Amino acid sequence: MSDDINEFHWMAEMIQTIDVGLVVLDKEYNIKSWNTFMEAHSSMRPDQVQGKNVFDLFPNIDKNWLTGKIDTVFTLNNRAFVTWEQRPFVFPFNNYRPITGIMEHMYQNVTIIPLTSLTGQVTHVSLIVYDVTDTVAYRQQILEAQQA
Amino acid sequence: MRLPILICDDSNMARKQMARSLPLGWDVEITLATNGQEGLDAIKAGKGDIVFLDLNMPVMDGYEVLEAIQKQDLPALVIVVSGDIQPQAYERVKQLGALDFINKPTSKEKITDILHKYGIVNPEQLAAIKNPPAQYIGNDELATLKSTVDDSNNVDITPYRDSYQEVANVAMGRAANLLARMIGTFIHLPIPNVNMLETSELHMALSSIEDNESMSAVCQGFIGAGVSGEALLLFRDSAFTNMAQLMGFKGELDDHGQLEVLMDVANILIGAYLKAISEQLDMNLAQGQPVVLGQHLSISELITRNTSRWQRTLAIEINYQIESFDIKCDLLILITEDSLTTLNNKVGYLFDEEA
Repeated sequence: MSDDINEFHWMAEMIQTIDVGLVVLDKEYNIKSWNTFMEAHSSMRPDQVQGKNVFDLFPNIDKNWLTGKIDTVFTLNNRAFVTWEQRPFVFPFNNYRPITGIMEHMYQNVTIIPLTSLTGQVTHVSLIVYDVTDTVAYRQQILEAQQA
Repeated sequence: MRLPILICDDSNMARKQMARSLPLGWDVEITLATNGQEGLDAIKAGKGDIVFLDLNMPVMDGYEVLEAIQKQDLPALVIVVSGDIQPQAYERVKQLGALDFINKPTSKEKITDILHKYGIVNPEQLAAIKNPPAQYIGNDELATLKSTVDDSNNVDITPYRDSYQEVANVAMGRAANLLARMIGTFIHLPIPNVNMLETSELHMALSSIEDNESMSAVCQGFIGAGVSGEALLLFRDSAFTNMAQLMGFKGELDDHGQLEVLMDVANILIGAYLKAISEQLDMNLAQGQPVVLGQHLSISELITRNTSRWQRTLAIEINYQIESFDIKCDLLILITEDSLTTLNNKVGYLFDEEA
């Protein structure tokens, strides 16, 4: 019993600490969960975003484009992947290394996964946000080196 | 007669905080000294029956003051108040005759406990005295500082320099303590440099890494609560052999082995430093993956490419040295200019609690 509780507690702590953004949205694109990574990079606390519409908080996200991806996850119960090559980023965050980083923004890969309720319905989706800025920087450097 | 008390600390903010932490109603006459020499002079002049002494100070440090008191048999009870929490520092000052040791930041509770413990004041006595405590703290000074922060276009840390210095000092002590525990030797604590650096100045610092081939560097981003920046650890290659030995590193000290040592030191110093800062300022900092500079990334390129993005950065520079080994490493905490409004508020609040 106490092991279960401990494990749950560890999981929660790992999810809060992991260097990856985790967001849960409902069908109306309202934010239901917002981990520390998202909090740190957006400077918005969970209580400030809880229940708010993600497109209201981030008006620069292309709504048609992203809702298209999210809606297929809801209907097909299938994962969707967005790479930085499609759009450099979904959430407008600064480079994690603001001083020595070459890029201004954080480039992101985003995976959208369906979350099912106890009845098996897909009621929510999760956005998993990966910082791929360094990969992009290396890619650019290689390209520039080839052209030189 | 009022009891002559001496507070000896190079940080203005630390002196104020110390004076503020003295028990209410204690009938004392406070003298302030900004370095060990001033402090020693005050003691000789009979102004320091009880001395609250910092360890890391310019001109003459706390150890030297203790030595002088011991040698000249001066009538002073010394309580060391320091951010240096290494066990060796504690032992040293005890050997040099200090009564006790208080870790920074000080608080009313800590000071009162110590004073009770040694019977310097007793609680009943204090309760009986209705006099307000000696007021040394210019609250009006703090009030004027506050009004200057709103200019967000060009945020200035000048009014808060002492606060930043004090936060930097305490964090340095904690980071050094962890490293000292890991390698089991005393680490000499310098006075951290807190400065606004222009782009060009930072470029100079970074270029020197590149010019100097025998230098390795790790950098790691951090962000949280409107504050972002990078920690940079610079390590001279000549120090690797000694450091590896101290840390009990077994493998061969080739490039790979050096990287292991470098990362272990970086994890401790950067992690502990950021943790100590975030604890003091009550904020959560997320840390990104560290990146080895120079190996995968050419520094000159890095300098030329992001020149335009920022103009100034708040830099905390600490030069750690390990006694009796030829080890020096520099920790540089760089904080972006747009974090300063938030940070100024936080440090202002931290040292303004009882104003």
